[in-house]
Parts: sequence; structure tokens; C-alpha cells
Amino acid sequence: MTHHAPLGGRGISRRGLLAASTGIAATAVLSACGTNSGLSSSSSSSSVGKANLSQWYHEYGEDGVQAAVTKYAAAYPKASVSVKWTTGDYEKAVSAALLTQTVPDVFEYANGPTADMILAGEVLDLTDVLGSAKSQFNASIITPRIFRDKIWAIPQTIDMQMLYYRKSLFDKAGLQPPTTFAALVDAAAKLTTKDVGGFYAGSDSGVGVLGLLLLWAAGFNSISSDGKNVDFDDPAFYSALAAYKAFRDGTGLLRNASAEWYDAAPFINGEAAMQWTGLWALPKVKAALGDDFGVAAFPAIGSAGKPAVAAGAYGACVAAKGTDPDAAKAFVKWLWVDQEDDQVEFSTAFGTHIPAKPALAAKATPLASGAGAAAAKLVADNGHVPDIRWTTAIGTAYSSALTNIIVKGADPKTELAAVVSTAKTELAKLA
Amino acid sequence: MRQSRASTIGAYVVLGVLALVFLVPFYVMIRNAFSTSSWISSPTWHLLPNNWGSANFARLLANTNVGIIQALGVSAVIAVIQTVLTLLIAAMAGYALARLAPTGRGPMRRAGSVVLGLTLGTLMVPSTVTFIPSFVMVAGLGWISSFRGLIVPLLFSAFAVFLYRQYFTGFPVELEEAARLDGAGYWRTFWRVVMPNSIGITGAIGTITFIGAWNAFLWPLLIGQDRSYRTVQVALSTFMTSQGVDVPELFTGGLVAVIPVVLVFVVLQRFLVEGVERSGIG
Amino acid sequence: MQAQAVERSLTGERAVTSGRRRVVGGRTFWFWVFVAPFLAGLLTFVYVPIVWSGYLSLFDARNTVTPRPDQFVGFGNYVSLLTDKAFLTSLGTFMVFTVVIVPLTYAFSLGLALLLQRIRVARTFFRSVFFIPTAVSYVIAAMIWRLSLFNGARFGMVNTIVRSLGGTAVGWLSGDTPVYWVVLVSLRLWLQSGFYMILFIAGLNRIGQDMYEAAALDGATGWKLFRHITWPQLASTTAAIVLLLVISAFQAFDEFYNTLATIGGYPPFARPPLVYLYLISLGGGSQNLGLGSAGTMILTLVIVVFGVVQLVGTRRLEAKR
Repeated sequence: MTHHAPLGGRGISRRGLLAASTGIAATAVLSACGTNSGLSSSSSSSSVGKANLSQWYHEYGEDGVQAAVTKYAAAYPKASVSVKWTTGDYEKAVSAALLTQTVPDVFEYANGPTADMILAGEVLDLTDVLGSAKSQFNASIITPRIFRDKIWAIPQTIDMQMLYYRKSLFDKAGLQPPTTFAALVDAAAKLTTKDVGGFYAGSDSGVGVLGLLLLWAAGFNSISSDGKNVDFDDPAFYSALAAYKAFRDGTGLLRNASAEWYDAAPFINGEAAMQWTGLWALPKVKAALGDDFGVAAFPAIGSAGKPAVAAGAYGACVAAKGTDPDAAKAFVKWLWVDQEDDQVEFSTAFGTHIPAKPALAAKATPLASGAGAAAAKLVADNGHVPDIRWTTAIGTAYSSALTNIIVKGADPKTELAAVVSTAKTELAKLA
Repeated sequence: MRQSRASTIGAYVVLGVLALVFLVPFYVMIRNAFSTSSWISSPTWHLLPNNWGSANFARLLANTNVGIIQALGVSAVIAVIQTVLTLLIAAMAGYALARLAPTGRGPMRRAGSVVLGLTLGTLMVPSTVTFIPSFVMVAGLGWISSFRGLIVPLLFSAFAVFLYRQYFTGFPVELEEAARLDGAGYWRTFWRVVMPNSIGITGAIGTITFIGAWNAFLWPLLIGQDRSYRTVQVALSTFMTSQGVDVPELFTGGLVAVIPVVLVFVVLQRFLVEGVERSGIG
Repeated sequence: MQAQAVERSLTGERAVTSGRRRVVGGRTFWFWVFVAPFLAGLLTFVYVPIVWSGYLSLFDARNTVTPRPDQFVGFGNYVSLLTDKAFLTSLGTFMVFTVVIVPLTYAFSLGLALLLQRIRVARTFFRSVFFIPTAVSYVIAAMIWRLSLFNGARFGMVNTIVRSLGGTAVGWLSGDTPVYWVVLVSLRLWLQSGFYMILFIAGLNRIGQDMYEAAALDGATGWKLFRHITWPQLASTTAAIVLLLVISAFQAFDEFYNTLATIGGYPPFARPPLVYLYLISLGGGSQNLGLGSAGTMILTLVIVVFGVVQLVGTRRLEAKR
């Protein structure tokens, strides 16, 4: 008996404990933002002659967002846009809706549409919509999501993960914030006491959230430039993974805490000296610890490595089968390219996020100084967004391999060989 | 059945221990919902909650954005209608498969096995993927954001039919034959004699159906797109995945999800128990 | 009387009585009348999607339910799954899981039912206690198990007990050791045994007192009673319950997913075939319906084979008596 399903055999209750999708760290950055919303949605006025567009958002965790986006939509003069605030598993709801006759005209999607959505013709090319404004946007957010040389979504606002560290503990031990992985391991070991752990990244020892980050920090890309294979099948990466495994087996990594990695409570409560968590936690950390913390990128692993932070941005997409695609495109351009004040407000008035245009970060107070500014700089210099060609199948194979290597001590070369073969098949389909 | 004193006492002891173990998760839920986060994660286990006056409940109920009260109403309507209709449809089909399968030599002689096979077959197909074509189909019918879309596709439970069929198979023929001798047709026999004597199994299947309907998440999420069709599980997922929800609030949400069904169960319980007792006719 | 009862429960056919010729034609008619609502709904709302999925499984159907002819891949999806080591591993793991969990749940539920039969006072109370967990959704239950009971941190309840007995906190879900099976099996038993217990009670109650008394007169007690009276009388109940347990074991999803999944994904251990299928076809925003449907069909076939084997096996056991 499938107990959970109503006896018609349908309706699996698949609500995870956390918002939105899983599968790969790609959407991890965004999904941990949580859901919650402000006031109930209202449609903007509709008048004759104007196009009627529907715009879908997922349920943001912060209060006030829904009212804000409704306000933006209502202010658009050339069409009447009604905002739909979707609860629960947003990706599933949107992708199911895209299969029907009534599709959302404009919708946001984690890091823009998937390669499959593009290949199935569900979304429209927005390269012209972005046009010359492309240079104003953060390149590290846009470039990995280019598919078939076209841009398919306009980033709305950037979320990111980074390393938080306790300044006082570091100063007391005479340590500097780590720039190499060896330094991180060393610092974590030195700062571990009976009651305080060194480094915390989740109850799975960080394998989930740090998946892609490990390869970025080791200096690799996820997909090779010719798009036919993964980029990281390299002995340097094997040793990076071995180093992480050694870290896990050692004393510095805290394996369990009072909350998961996306909740800064362990860091705030002093359960760990360092925690990998997100920009969304910044207000809480600041409120609790004042100035006694700093942020940094994940340190470089190995000689070819480079510090890295994970970033992600919901991108506004236009459905191909919408009622009025041209009107929809115009609306997206208006809101997410032209309306800079709205963009700044959207990014910073409800929790801390980074505007997709780096120049706007300077206009935003929370990001003008201190940890906020440091975070903005980290994204600009070291930000990585998952490659659009990194499909779920590859991601699943990769995270399984990583768990086997780091938790079970399997041989990196053999495990990654399986990922390589999966990737080759998948990428061939995308070519 | 005669049995020794010792074995009865032994049974009580074992049952007592097991009952305690079975109640632990509920205790944990209550304890956590009414404690503070640090109380829960302290290294020593605190048996009792420390935040009885927790405003979490009141806050959750009053949260207009989550809309729990309305969602409770929607879920109740859906669960009740779905249960009643599913029971009716499944009882009839189960009875037919157990008692009315055509015999003889006509072309219909295998009809019973075929239908039974079709029924069992669907039990064996997981719906993880098939829900998408279902959804597209129901969307095509225009049933999004309607009670029809939320209820009708789920009324045809192979599971319930199977259970009813197994049950009716062992149903005492004498009762039906007595009714026949009194001149009742199949229809009358079924409704006047068979069903009234099948309260136990109906109670059991009805309870499971109700619970399943209440706890369903994916289908109501996809179909109930409009705010006014939101069920409790969907509304709760809003709450439980919102920003800054901590462990006590999570468990408060869990209690809200569970308490209504448990209450319904406790109320219907006597009905179910009596029925099960009574169905022991040799 | 006994033989008749057994025969009845096996075949479900009524004893033929005389004078029914007028009714036989009517019987077929009434069969269809009784079955019609269910059959109509089943074909429309259950079979159409299944057949549609079967159709999709032959295509490289990504983000579409109406694939183009050039997306036809024949059995390509099936081949890629059957050569996927991870998929085969999950199937293998869950065959073992089924072989373990089905007898375990069966025995536990039956044990509860039998124990309940022995007592008089507070029977209702105990029955409720064991049945109420059925009301809890898998998601909530997984939350309790994961966050509180079997939390790997020191303050997890089981860890607290372990520590008070002198041990160290165990990472129940970390994957270092196979102890996650304890978590998952206990979760499943808690959620499911109450329901099957009720089914057993219904089945046990159908065994007439006179049968037991007759056996008692022959001097049968305890285990002998169980083996020769109770057990055979439970035949049809057993068949139903075992089939349902097998199906439920293979279709495991929610309690596993909500217990073990993290935002980064799902670990490669204790990964049910359905969860794996979900991850590679429907997870993370993808919608590979061709692959997902193919996996569904393969899994259905496995369940059917197990189900048939089990039914045939049960029939053989019946025949022996």
C-alpha cells in the first residue's frame, strides 16, 4: 500500500522539509531562501486594448516581497500583468503548467530555464531583450547560462553562499581567514575544542552543499568548453577530493549541529567557528554577532585552485506559447533591465541579495559597506553559477560519486569514471 | 478461548511497552512544539517542554497569508467527499468482483478476472511519473482550481476495491442467500444486507481513504492553484518552509497537520471498532 | 463446514443453488452495473495516463507530453536504465529490502492483532494507539524521525539514550554505517503496522468461536491452535496483505525521500528505485518523461513478477492443505 497516496494512486506528498527543488547544488543556493509571503495577491487593473499577461513567482521566504512585485506589475503601463504567487514545489508546478494550454506568460525560474525547456521550445530567446545592456550585468551569472549562443532569461537578483568565520576566535588563535584549503583544515583543527567545532557545512559533512564548489575551488569548470564532457576528470581533482575526505575524517569538520547548513544558528550559537551558509543569513548574523564575523570565499584547493563562492539567480523567462510573447518580452525588459530602482528594492529591501547589475550594488545601503560589500565583491570576483548543461542526471551521478568518495572512502578515479560516462551521454543529447 | 492468567498478563506487559514506544513520536512532537530551540538542542534531554505558552500556534492560526483555517475547511470538504464516494464506488466494484463475476460459457465468462487483473495492475504502477499525463489531461478538461479536478480523478481506488473484494469473498453466503429467499434482487441484497454487515471493513478502508486524502500534497498542489482551493498540506508547506522557521515552529506545523485527523479518528473510532467486532460472524 | 469456509475464501464463488436460471442472465447485467462506475473512472483517470506514459517511454520526451516523431527512441530509455549501475543497484537493494520488510511487517502486525485478541480490558485503547500513527503523513513522520528521534547530533533522542548507556552519539543518517536502515525500518513499521493489524483483526474475527472450541475439544492449544486453525483461516487475508506489503515496499518513496534527502541531493545509499528515478527524470527542474516512464514500466514489471510469484506461492500453500 502506498500509504501516502490517496487511494486513487496519485498525489504523492513530496513536500521536502525545505523549499523547492533538489538534485544538485545548482538550485541549492536559491531554494534555501525559503518561502513565505506578504499580503494576498491582487490582480492589477485590466483595461481594453492592453495585453493581459500572467506572471508567476515562487513563494519567497521574506515578508513583503509579494506586495512589492505586485506593485511593480501594476505600475507597468503597456499591459496588465497579474502576479501569481505559487506555493510549494514551484519548479514542478511551473513545468507542469508549461505542458498545458494555459502557460504563464512570464515566469521566474531558478537560474533561468533548463536546457530541456529550451530544446522543447517552451521559452523564448531573450538575447535582444537584453541587448546592449548585457555588459551592465554580472558576467559570471550570465555566461554559464548561455545556450546555443543565446540568452534565455534575465537575472532578477543574485543569491550566494559563502564562508562565515568568527573574527574573535581567529584573532585569539592568531589565524588569518584561510585562502587555501590547507589553511582551512589547519584553522579548523586549531579552533576545535570540546564545545566548539571548526567548520560546519551540514549534517552530511558538506557533501551536498559543497558539491560543485569543490570542483570550482580546485580550479575546474563543471563542463568542458567543447560541451562534450566534464572538465574535472583530472588527478588534481582526485587529490582535492582526497583532501576533503581527510578533512572529514580529521577533527576539524563538525558533523552535526543544531540546524542544517542553511540556518546560521550553529554559527551564531557558537557551535562552530566557521560555517558555510548563505547571504540570506547575513541580517541574523549581524544582529546577533555585530562585527564579530567576517565572510570569505571557499579557499582554493590545490595549486591550480582559486577561491570560489556559489551563486544563483532566479531568471525571468518568457513562455513561447504565451498569449502575447512580444508584450511579455517588453514587460520583462521594462522591469528587469530598465527599472533599476525596483531592482535595487527587490534585492535589498526584503532580506539581503545582490542586484544582478554590479553597479547597483553600490546604490544599495546593506551592500555599501562591511560584510555586505565584501559579499558583493566575492560574487563579482569569485562567483560561480552552475553551467546550463549540467543536467539533473549528471548532478545526481556526481553527488552520488562524491558521497561514495568522501563518506565511504571509494576511489575517486573509479567513481568519477561513472560520472564521466553519464555526462557524455547526456551532453551528446544537448549538442 | 481459554488461556492462562500468566499469558494474559504477559500480553498486557508486551502491549504496554509497545504502546509506550508507539506514543513516543507524538510525545516528541508535542514536547518540541512547546519548547524553545535551545531547550531542544541542549545536550541533556529535557523531558518536559519549557514554552507551554508558546505563541506559535496562535500565530500560525492567525497568519492570514498561510490561511490555515480556510485550508482546513477545504481539506475537510475534499476528504469527506472523496472518502464517501470512493467507498461507494469501491464497495460496489469489490462486491461485483467477489460475488457477481459472470460464470457460464458466454463471452463474458472471463470478465471478472479481466477486471480484477486491471484493478490489481494499477496498484502495481507507481504514480511518480504518471501524474504528469494525468495533470495535463485534467488541465485539458478545464478542471484546474475546481473541486472536480481535486476529487474526481482520485475516486477510483484499486486499493479499496481489492480490499473490499477480498473481504466480500469471505462474507458469509448464508446472509445473502437468506435475503434471496426473501425475494431481494442483487441491488437490494447488497445495500440492505451486505453493506450494513460490513461496517468494520468499511470503517477501515474509509479511515485510510480519509487519511490519504487529507495528507495528499502533490495533486492538490498542482490542481488547487487558486488560493481558495488550497488544502492544509499545501498551506502548511508554506509555513514550514518559510524564512526563519525554527524547529519548534516546524513541529507546531506538524501538530496542526496531524491533530485534525487524529481527532476525526478518535471520534470515528468506536464506529470502526464495533464494526470490526461485529463482522466476526462465523 | 471448515472445508467449505476454506473453499469459499479461496475462490470467492457462491455455492450454486437451484432455481437460479432467471437470475443468471441478470447476474451478468448486475455485474456490469456494480462495476461500471469504478471501471469507467479507472480507465479514464488511471489507465489513460498509464498508457500515455507507456507511449512516452518510447520517446526521448523531455518537457513534452506530445513528442515529435523524430524523438522516437524505441527501447532506448529502457536500455539506458537497465545498463545504469545505479538503477540496478537500487533495484537490487530494494529486492532485499522487500524480502526483509514484508515478513517483518506481517509478523509484527499479526503479532499485535493476536496479542489484542488475548486481552479484554483496554483493548480499544491499545488498538487505537497502534492505529493512530497511520493518520500521520509520511512527511511529518520523517521529520520527527530525522530531526528529533534519530538526529545525529548529541541531542537526538536515541543518541541521548545511547549516551546514557555509555556509548557515543551515532550519526544515524550519515552513511558511514548502515544504521540508517534502523531509522527507515522503524519509521515504516510505526506508520504501517497499525493498518495491517486492523486487517488482521477483521480476518481473525471472522474465524468462528465454534471452530476454536471444536479444536480445544480435540486438545489443541497455543501454537497448535494457531498453526492448524488460525493460520489457515487467515489465508485470504494473508494473500491480500502480503501483496500490498510487497507493492508498498517497491513503491517506497516519501519516507525515504523526506528522511534522507538534503538540498544537495539524495545520498547513494538506501535509495529506492522510485527515488532514483525521480532524481534523474523529475528532480531539479527537469522533466524527462520518457526516461521516467520507462523506469515506471520496468518497476511495474518487477512488482508484477513479485506479485505473481507471491500469489502463486500462496496458492500452492493452499493446495497443500
